[in-house]
Amino acid sequence: MVPTGVFQVNDTALQATQLKTALTFDKAKAVRGFRLPDATFRIVSRSAAVLVLIILTGVVVSLIHGSIPVFKAMGFEFFTSSSWNPVTERFSAGAAVFGTLVTSAIALLIAVPIGLGIAVFLTEICTPRLRRPIAIAIELLAGIPSIIYGIWGLFFLAPFLQVYVQPSLISAFEGIPILSTLFQGPPYGIGILTAGLVLAVMVLPFITSISRDVFETVPPVLKEAAYGMGCTTWEVVKNIVIPYTKSGVVGGIMLALGRALGETMAVTFVIGNAHKISGSLLAPGTSISANIANEFTEAVGDIYTSALIALGLILFVITFIVIALARLLLMRLNLRAGT
Amino acid sequence: MTENKNIVEKISIKKLDFYYGNSRALKQVTLPLYQNMVTAFIGPSGCGKSTLLRVLNRMYDLYPNQHAEGEVLFEGENILVPGLDLNLLRARIGMVFQKPTPFPMTIYENISFGIKLYESLPKSEMDGRVEDSLRRAAIWDEVKDKLGQSGLSLSGGQQQRLCIARTVAIRPDVILFDEPCSALDPISTAKIEELIDELKSEYTIVIVTHNMQQAARVSEKTAFMYLGELIEFDDTSKMFTSPGDKRTQDYITGRFG
Repeated sequence: MVPTGVFQVNDTALQATQLKTALTFDKAKAVRGFRLPDATFRIVSRSAAVLVLIILTGVVVSLIHGSIPVFKAMGFEFFTSSSWNPVTERFSAGAAVFGTLVTSAIALLIAVPIGLGIAVFLTEICTPRLRRPIAIAIELLAGIPSIIYGIWGLFFLAPFLQVYVQPSLISAFEGIPILSTLFQGPPYGIGILTAGLVLAVMVLPFITSISRDVFETVPPVLKEAAYGMGCTTWEVVKNIVIPYTKSGVVGGIMLALGRALGETMAVTFVIGNAHKISGSLLAPGTSISANIANEFTEAVGDIYTSALIALGLILFVITFIVIALARLLLMRLNLRAGT
Repeated sequence: MTENKNIVEKISIKKLDFYYGNSRALKQVTLPLYQNMVTAFIGPSGCGKSTLLRVLNRMYDLYPNQHAEGEVLFEGENILVPGLDLNLLRARIGMVFQKPTPFPMTIYENISFGIKLYESLPKSEMDGRVEDSLRRAAIWDEVKDKLGQSGLSLSGGQQQRLCIARTVAIRPDVILFDEPCSALDPISTAKIEELIDELKSEYTIVIVTHNMQQAARVSEKTAFMYLGELIEFDDTSKMFTSPGDKRTQDYITGRFG
């Protein structure tokens, strides 16, 4: 092997000297031929990138522009009050923002521990044989269209909660100061809590798959080192895996939160669509996206339409903040990985 | 320092076979490991020396399709029996890895973490234990002013000594070193070899190394392994001057490996 290689090198060197003059001419010509396609390619890819900025700016500008009438009519009250009266044209975002935030909070409260639990099980405990089926099931859960979650929530989950779960919640927490407020009133089935539960199921796959991915970035030798000191699996997860992947996990939760905040169809089915802020989680409420989806067709008059667009603007801002926070955390993760 | 020259057989490996799935990585290995001595495992890559080391604290248990057959007696008790308390075993047989593995926490916590697994000490005592461990690992002077910083902020050699301090802190009986210097510069290597030499007065030490000179410098006993078999086990001085087996001689003189 080695001697032939040496001969080949000598050989090509020889040829190169002989063909030098001819080659330089051909190469220059060939390179000139690249110029036009290369310039075109550069312009096309640049305009594709610029297009995104234009679209984004366009959306923001039109949202702001569309919101102006209701801001003028309602002033600051648009943000502070919870009334929503198309007849008197008094609109405010309070109930919808409240519903959006509370349902998303419930969803995360339930989905984060379960999602992290599944991810820990898949990466640390599960036998390889079971790993694939569970991972595939999680991915399928992510693939179910939201309308199906909506139907499921309305026709199965809500009646089930109404008959079996909510009455016992109400009676169980009766008389306990804060909890009795959270779980009071008649069991409707649909409401803030049900919407939160459906959202929890919907964001679970995000949290699970992202945390599984980041858990797998923990160097095996680091885990071995911890096991080598006599740590149990729980101690390894608590002290090594979670601290090591902290930012990544938080990033995943933020993405799930973004999804929960914006989810429309499933929430519209089960939230009850009532414009009010209630202390009880069992009471029907509304969310920004559900509100827009429900009422766009019947929005007559400038201010009504404008109120819905303004709701969209608020949702956009909330989601933007969440995504920005997620980015910031992921940047910190990358920074630390680099050191 | 007690100069204990009574030879005690701390660990006895008897007819040990090891399998990765169906492939046999160790064949009928029988080997004693003596207290207060450094035993070096040498041999070409893939000869099974790291595998043998990982049997001693049952690290292989983390991976489902690896298993060992035979006996490994640690103070007379077979550690390969199922149902053995692995956490306790690993508290008694500590391990230092090829690459430094500081935990994602502060320097102080890297040490106190292991201690807290087994003992609950008041703060002042904990401080003492942390300092003592760091001193033993010859890193105290370099880190005493930055105990609150991340363990990851240290250099590679310092990280490795931090890992040794962490292992020493939980007061094991045996310390396993898996090529502890292969990722380190010569100065850090010298420091760690010096450290191993000091530690042997209190511990039983096993070191896997690719570096012949290192084996010759730090160990009393050397085991040469080849293709999953123990070829030769003897005093290091004898092994490196007049090896009994042709293959040992070839490996030590650099003719293969």
